[in-house]
Amino acid sequence: MRLFKKSVLLTLRSRRRFIVFTLMYTSLLFWASFSLDITPILGNIGITSFFIAMGISIFLSLLYAWIITNYRRREIATLKCIGWTNRNCQSIIIGEILFTTFFGFIIVVEILFHIVALLGYFYSVYNPTFVASGLPLISLASVFITFIMFILVQLIGIFLGTRRVLKVRPIIALRKVGI
Amino acid sequence: MVEIDVMIKAEDVNKEYKREGAIIRALVDINLEIKEGQFVIIQGPTACGKSTLLNVLSGLDLPDSGKIILDGENISRSTEDRLSRIRRRKIGFVFQDFNLVNNLTAIENVEATLWPTVLRNKEIENRAITALRDVDLLERKDHFPVQMSGGEKQRAAIARAIVHRPRVILADEPTGNLDPDSEKRIMDLLKKINKDYDTTMIIVTHRDLSKYGDRLIKMDKGRIVSAK
Repeated sequence: MRLFKKSVLLTLRSRRRFIVFTLMYTSLLFWASFSLDITPILGNIGITSFFIAMGISIFLSLLYAWIITNYRRREIATLKCIGWTNRNCQSIIIGEILFTTFFGFIIVVEILFHIVALLGYFYSVYNPTFVASGLPLISLASVFITFIMFILVQLIGIFLGTRRVLKVRPIIALRKVGI
Repeated sequence: MVEIDVMIKAEDVNKEYKREGAIIRALVDINLEIKEGQFVIIQGPTACGKSTLLNVLSGLDLPDSGKIILDGENISRSTEDRLSRIRRRKIGFVFQDFNLVNNLTAIENVEATLWPTVLRNKEIENRAITALRDVDLLERKDHFPVQMSGGEKQRAAIARAIVHRPRVILADEPTGNLDPDSEKRIMDLLKKINKDYDTTMIIVTHRDLSKYGDRLIKMDKGRIVSAK
C-alpha cells in the first residue's frame, strides 16, 4: 500500500506526462461513456464506438507503461540495486497508471457537474420553474460503468507493459551516464 | 567452512563477456576474502575487471564459475528477487553518478530504500533523518537532486546506502565525478561510517585512494595482481 501511495507522489511530480495522459484518459472516458449512452438510440454504432475506446485504452496503458519503464530505466535499476524486488518496481508503475486513470475519471465527473450547473443556470434564467432533468448529458451511470471497464481492460495492458520491468537489470545502474 | 568474521568470500570466480565476437575474460580465477569491518580499496586501470568484481560480489551479476559467499550465504546461484532481498538487508550501494531519483527529495531518496519494508512510516523517517545527520546533510533534506551540488548528491547517496544499516557498502568510483575537496570529504565520511558502524567497505576506483583503506587490492587484466 505504501508503494502505491508513493507512486501517486511520483505521478504528480512527473507533471508533463501526468497532464498529457490524464487529458487522453479524460477524452477517452467521455468518448466511451457517450458511446454507451447513445447505444439504446443508435445500437451497434454506439457499441462499436465503445469497444474502439476500450481498445485505445489498452493501447494507452501499454504505451504509458512502456514510456515509464523506458524513462525510468536507470531509476528502476537503481531501486533494484538498493533492494527493491520486481514486484516492488511494478507496484510503482501500476499505481501511476491507475492513479492517472482515476484522475481522468474525477475530471469527467467534475466536468459533468459543471455542465449540469451551467445548463441548469441558463435554463432557469428562461424558465424559473425549470427542474434539472432530461438535460442533454452523459449519465453518471455510464461514466461509472466505463470507468470500471477501463480499469479492468487496463489491467491487461498494465500486466503486459510492466513485464518490461522484469527485463531491467540492476547492473545498468552501475554503468556510467552516456555509455 | 566459512570463518565467522569473513564477510565476503570469492572462490575460483571466473567471468567472461562476449563483445563484438571476441571473448573477454573479465575475471580470472579470483580468490578473495574480505573480513568484517575491513575498508578495502580495489584499484586498477580502466577495464581491468574491478567493476565486474564489484558486480559479482554484490550479486548484481553472476559468475560463470566459482562461488560468492556473502555473510555465510552462497549467492552465486540465487534468483533475482532473492538477491534483491539480500541486498536490501545486507548491502548498501554508492554509485559514481549518484543515481538519485530526480523526482524525490533528499530525504525521500534515503527513505526509498525502506519503502518496501514492513517498518512504520515514522520509523523510516527517523532512520532517514539519522542517516542524513550522519552525512551532515540534514539541512538539505527537502531539496531535490537538481538543487544540490555533486558532493551533496553523493552524501545523499551515502545516506541512502547506510539507512538500512547494511553489513557491507560497495562503492563504484564514489569520487569519480567530484573535485579533490569533495573527494576528501566523501572518503573521510566513508571511513567514519566504517569506524562508527563497523561496516565493511569495498571501494572500486582507478584513483589512488590507498591511504584510506586497510587493504589495497590491485587488479589487472581480470586478475588480482597484489593484495595487501
